[in-house]
Amino acid sequence: MATALTTNLAETFAKRLLNELGAQPLRDVRVDDSHPALIWARSGLMSLTGFADGAPLMCPLPVAACANGALAALASLAPEGALNDLNGAALLAERGAIAEHTRKGTTSPGGSCRLLKTRDGQIALNLARDDDQALLPAWLEDESVVDEASMLIAIQKQTMHDLVERGRLLGLAVAPVVPPPSAITPWHTVTHVGERAMRRASPRVLDLSSLWAGPLCTHLLQRCGADVIKVESTQRPDGARRGPPQFFDLLNARKRSVALDLSKETGRAQLCALIAQADIVIEASRPRALRQMNIHAEKLIDENPGLTWVSLNGYGRKDPEENWIAYGDDAGVAGGLSYLMREASGESVIVGDAIADPLTGLHAALAAFVCHRQGGGRLLSLALTDVVRHCVQFDRPTNAESLKQRQREWTELAQGNIGEPQMRAAPVQARELGADTVAVLASWGIAC
Amino acid sequence: MAKTALKAGSRFKSAVSDAQVMIVKAPAGEFELGCGGIAMVGGTAAAPEGVALAAGDAGEVLIGKRYVNADESLEMLCTKGGKGTLSLDGVALEIKQAKQLPSSD
Repeated sequence: MATALTTNLAETFAKRLLNELGAQPLRDVRVDDSHPALIWARSGLMSLTGFADGAPLMCPLPVAACANGALAALASLAPEGALNDLNGAALLAERGAIAEHTRKGTTSPGGSCRLLKTRDGQIALNLARDDDQALLPAWLEDESVVDEASMLIAIQKQTMHDLVERGRLLGLAVAPVVPPPSAITPWHTVTHVGERAMRRASPRVLDLSSLWAGPLCTHLLQRCGADVIKVESTQRPDGARRGPPQFFDLLNARKRSVALDLSKETGRAQLCALIAQADIVIEASRPRALRQMNIHAEKLIDENPGLTWVSLNGYGRKDPEENWIAYGDDAGVAGGLSYLMREASGESVIVGDAIADPLTGLHAALAAFVCHRQGGGRLLSLALTDVVRHCVQFDRPTNAESLKQRQREWTELAQGNIGEPQMRAAPVQARELGADTVAVLASWGIAC
Repeated sequence: MAKTALKAGSRFKSAVSDAQVMIVKAPAGEFELGCGGIAMVGGTAAAPEGVALAAGDAGEVLIGKRYVNADESLEMLCTKGGKGTLSLDGVALEIKQAKQLPSSD
């Protein structure tokens, strides 16, 4: 049978990640050896992909198997059994279960990202913030754009290139529907090297991130024995606090909550003092946002030997890419998923639910855990787009014809195995914003 | 630059530093946009020669920040950082509070 696999792709992927990090697993990599098509179908991702009035769609790339591989790589290093009850592919779909998301074709399950027609192709536009609407006249250089209908008309008159370039300048999450590059994209980059030093065996983690990728990363690190402090700005707390409480609780349960006024010098000094006593920092800000607060990752790594700093971003930390923003759905598009779905099935669709977010969270947990064990002293950059590209390039068929054929075969294999997204329950509620500020600052000897 | 109409999406650059901005919204009418006390230059126009940042202007335009006038009828976004204080008809502009984070994506 043409679909029989001689290798376990998830295991191959796990070993590749470990190898790239120079990590020696503590035990064998153990991973579900199901066919990638079945992993996709059972995870709930298939149910979240496709048109509302059409069948769930197969992704002809082993993205769900890659998620299993990333989790298995982490489990091979983590305390025995720490991650046994988790399934990497299911983690990619669980927000969909909690938020009761459904597939919407060219619109993301969460509703904020859409694939739109331009004069010469398609773009993904993710208007996740309420304020983004106010940028539309400037983006389209058209003050008559006041509503949905006028926006769609204006977009059709312009080129992908102009729309993407101007959108990025304005800080909109916009991406062209393009194929992934054929050359292998590294999924992480070391952008600064400091001194190695062995730190606490069970790391103290400062999580400065928000939404999904970063919080999932620190949730996994917590499962591996880390002590996680979630640090938020009193003025701009994690927006996920306003989303479904079950989802926020699931990712943030048992993390202590510290809230600092980062608009003031005192708050910034407190943050630097916290960082100086942490082993791992996870953040997802644009580099300039931290720099403008006088928080320089490179300098803090130099001053704190052994510190592991993970920067989660849309497109990397180089100029100008460091200024481009991305959310999970548009980063999936930028990584090539929607283009390849069109090549395979004839229809551009959003693949999964903010898929780059949880996929990056999984990879980030692995990278952070390994770097810490190796003595830290590194600034690691993980770009959502690069993580998706790296998964897409892994076992990608060489041409459009074989991609189409694989999609037909994998779709057939999945029949009778298509599951809905499943949710885990949070063990306890997450802490209220700032509930542990005083206690953490006091116990770490930092002035309030 | 003489006074000019400001349109959403138009870009201006500082005549005295690297700063660049894009208009997000603007009131009707004609105005003079300044940076460091010198009129900014529209789009692709060449910067005038022999001009310098106003003495005593220690201001800095920060990339990614939005700048507004007092009644917020003018709003622009800094697309490239640089020295100088932004002004509208000679009145300094202020930084607008950062956008609230989304609740999900």
